[in-house]
Amino acid sequence: MAKSKKEIISIQSVSKIYNLGETVVKALDNVSLSIYDNDYISIMGPSGSGKSTLMNIIGCLDVPTKGKYKFKDELISEMDDNQLANIRNEKIGFVFQTFNLLPKLNAMQNVEVPLIYSSLGRKERIERAEEALHIVGLQDRMTHKPNELSGGQRQRVAIARALVNKPSIILADEPTGNLDSKSGNEILKFFAKLHKDGNTIIVVTHEESVAKLSKRRIDIFDGKIARDE
Amino acid sequence: MEKLLEMNNFFKNIIIGLFSVRSNLTRVILTASGLTIGIFTVSIVSAAVSSIDKEFAKSMDYYGNDKVYVGTWPWSFDFDWWKYRNRPKIEESSLEYITQYSEYITDVSIKKNTWTRATYGNKASWLQLNGVYPSYQDMLSGTKIENGRFFSQNEWDLQRRVIIVGGTVRDGFFQGKDPIGKKIRLNNVTFEIIGELKKQGIGMVPGGTLDNLVIMPSTTFERILTRWGFDELVLQTNPKDIPLAKEEVGMIMRVARKIPPGDDDNFAVNSADAYMEQFNTMKNAIAGMGFLVTGISLVVSAIGIMNVMFVSVRERTREIGLRKAMGATNFNILTQFLSEAVAIAIIGGSVGIALIRLTVFGLASFPIPNFNGATLPISFDLLLVFYTFTVCVFIGVLAGLIPARTAANLNPIDALRDE
Repeated sequence: MAKSKKEIISIQSVSKIYNLGETVVKALDNVSLSIYDNDYISIMGPSGSGKSTLMNIIGCLDVPTKGKYKFKDELISEMDDNQLANIRNEKIGFVFQTFNLLPKLNAMQNVEVPLIYSSLGRKERIERAEEALHIVGLQDRMTHKPNELSGGQRQRVAIARALVNKPSIILADEPTGNLDSKSGNEILKFFAKLHKDGNTIIVVTHEESVAKLSKRRIDIFDGKIARDE
Repeated sequence: MEKLLEMNNFFKNIIIGLFSVRSNLTRVILTASGLTIGIFTVSIVSAAVSSIDKEFAKSMDYYGNDKVYVGTWPWSFDFDWWKYRNRPKIEESSLEYITQYSEYITDVSIKKNTWTRATYGNKASWLQLNGVYPSYQDMLSGTKIENGRFFSQNEWDLQRRVIIVGGTVRDGFFQGKDPIGKKIRLNNVTFEIIGELKKQGIGMVPGGTLDNLVIMPSTTFERILTRWGFDELVLQTNPKDIPLAKEEVGMIMRVARKIPPGDDDNFAVNSADAYMEQFNTMKNAIAGMGFLVTGISLVVSAIGIMNVMFVSVRERTREIGLRKAMGATNFNILTQFLSEAVAIAIIGGSVGIALIRLTVFGLASFPIPNFNGATLPISFDLLLVFYTFTVCVFIGVLAGLIPARTAANLNPIDALRDE
């Protein structure tokens, strides 16, 4: 590697154990992982492998049962609900398979949602949302409702929403899963561009074609990292 | 500064809540209508009760707080008609006993009551007639002679056809002109008007308005108008002596009527305070029933709001999950849903207030016919608005709390996965 990389996420011996009465399910079993600045990672694995659990933990939606999770210098594994909400708000941009746009809000208002939970004023919120929609090339679709947009455009609104708080990582869960191949490819090209612009991207997927475009690939199997290269 | 930002956040969540109210307007209005009805009825009941109260107090002035009345019927609402109707009539002669033996009664008068047709030219009206002693001049309560004079002892002795009239006669017969010296016919006998009473307005007690009243010497009354009606004794005392005076008068009446010990009274000693007590009991019963019914309707509408809020939370589980993933705290979500519930309640309450305003306005602009231009005694004030909003906020919070807590405590992962 040409330039030295800064570690953003450090996961040390993390386990997630679900206690379902009689049976105990180890969704993650002693996983360790480091994610660096400007990484472009794909996480792959069959369903039930624990990749969703890993994603939820990386995304600070869930905390591990055992082990340490450090995000930059902050110890996520010890945080309460409010602190986790803050981290999600400031540090993580989510992109979902089903877009998860709010149907009653227009593109602009959808992109504004994360900013509402930050302490920005109204004027600044609008500026930031416009800027984010510019980046995804939807500057002339700002007042359109989600049902007036194509699938690809909807996902681009969702990406703008993920970018709007200038997060440290972008976490995408099957971002092309609900798109036709043409729109899917556009989104992937867009991820490549974002990566080139210096963003850190983590894509959870089960599609080889998606994983191939990433710079680093992690395979999960039975709650363990089977491959990391 | 930190505090300011927190407040800013708080209001943003309220706005999100209001936005969702706007996007479900039909459902919100239907849900809120329960509260509208509740607020409307609760206000009408309380307005009616307080207005009845005011009017009743005004009417009670007619009887005075310093008088004892002796009649055949007790002043109460539990009439035992058969028992009272066979009682002997009140004898004027009893007054002599009372004047002679009573310590507490300072002045006395007979009061003969009847109704009759009064005419002037081609105009006619029904008026209440009282035949009294000259001493009644000082015993008038709730009104006074405003114009002209009372009749004299001499006029009483000579059975003169002179009358003192209530406030409606002037407008009804004389187009608002001074009636003193004019002659009207009562029961086809001509009387001269020598005095006029101060106008009172509508009252709630039967026979409790002085505006339709005609007062004349009891001697004249007896000679001309004895076909029907009833007599009462009016006894003057001090307000503080009322209970003792009533007891004493009762005993004197028993002696005068030679009622053997152990037998029941065959007369009734009344006073305004006893009437007031009776009235309060009835008023409280009306208010109690009214508030019980409306209380139930408020509880039902609170349950309605709670139900809609649960539906709203259920429908928007994914939205909650998304907002949480985007950084909304539990408190943010709680505020959002609570303000939605409060907004629904306030919408319901506001429509209720508008309805009350309209009702009051409507009643005020349509006077009830045959009641001398008086309107139904319902009033509207700002305190009512204040109470309504307080109640609405309270109901909104109460109804919204459990659904909002459910929403706030949702796990974002499960919520996002919701179909």
